[in-house]
Amino acid sequence: MLGILRRIWGDGASGQVARKRMQFVLMHDRIDITPDVMEAVKNDIIQVLSRYMEIEGGSVKVDLEQGKDFMALISNVQVKRVFRNSKNSD
Amino acid sequence: MAGRIVVVTSGKGGVGKTTTVANLGTTLAKKKYNVVLIDTDIGLRNLDVVMGLENRIVYNLVDIIEGNCRKEQAMIRDRKLSNLCMIPAAQTREKNSITEEQMKALCVELSSEFDYVIIDCPAGIEQGFKNAIAGADTAVVVTTPEVSAIRDADRVIGLLEAALVKKINLIINRLNARMVKKGDMMSTEDIIALLSVPLLGVVPESEDVVVSTNRGVPLVHDRSSKAGAAFRSMAARLNGESIPLDGDSQGLFGRMKRFIWN
Repeated sequence: MLGILRRIWGDGASGQVARKRMQFVLMHDRIDITPDVMEAVKNDIIQVLSRYMEIEGGSVKVDLEQGKDFMALISNVQVKRVFRNSKNSD
Repeated sequence: MAGRIVVVTSGKGGVGKTTTVANLGTTLAKKKYNVVLIDTDIGLRNLDVVMGLENRIVYNLVDIIEGNCRKEQAMIRDRKLSNLCMIPAAQTREKNSITEEQMKALCVELSSEFDYVIIDCPAGIEQGFKNAIAGADTAVVVTTPEVSAIRDADRVIGLLEAALVKKINLIINRLNARMVKKGDMMSTEDIIALLSVPLLGVVPESEDVVVSTNRGVPLVHDRSSKAGAAFRSMAARLNGESIPLDGDSQGLFGRMKRFIWN
């Protein structure tokens, strides 16, 4: 009876609740990245961005942030100047 | 040709590793393969009682590794199948009384004499786990449709991949078809999508499992049990036979099909 009421209130069947929770938990568990890897990601981001713009290398921050039902990689980069012609042509 | 070394693992305890080892091993032995089962859960051995061989233990795994006996002396032959035997774990020792290298060497040695070496892994991801997976070329990860078991299975799969275990297969144990239908249990598809590992099979939740462990006679000996049938098809798939997964299904159609094919 309680289950029926819950479903009417839009709580969803518990199997789907479990599935959605696990999707998020496993993503979080798997992305438990070591500082070394995080540093490598940061350096790669700097390298790619440097083809298009001059950036303040020391100011680059890369963080993983957890939302309610998503995970985001957030990076703050201070741009000094954007190149007129992309250096990517080579 | 060297035999296959299969480790049955799960991360979480109580999901049915030992039952799986006993049933896969017994089925393969019934198919005339030479099979040895190794209980590596040192300090908490259980494979012996599930197999009904607890009264025959003299030597154990640690005795073999420390050289207190020849390995043949520690191998206990099954009551029904002469080509099936088991090496029990030590009950009064610690998990770190053996090393990964020793375990690997033993597995390789046994694989030259047996077609299948099946290892019952302890719960957890500490030394006992590392020992159990050290020599394995194939891993069978057992989970139940519960969040804690699935999360631990995912962690273990990550560790197996990092340890370069080549083949990793999944068994979903204790699936309650009625609850899945009601929407109150994650379905097989949900679990595969979460863990993304090839499925070896699904075992329906069944009282037969308790009865068979009570008696110490593996379930696959019971021709009428659905859970037993699930274990039989999983062993066949592990052996490379192609048996469609929906053959285990609960529906009338599935049962009719099974009746016709068998």
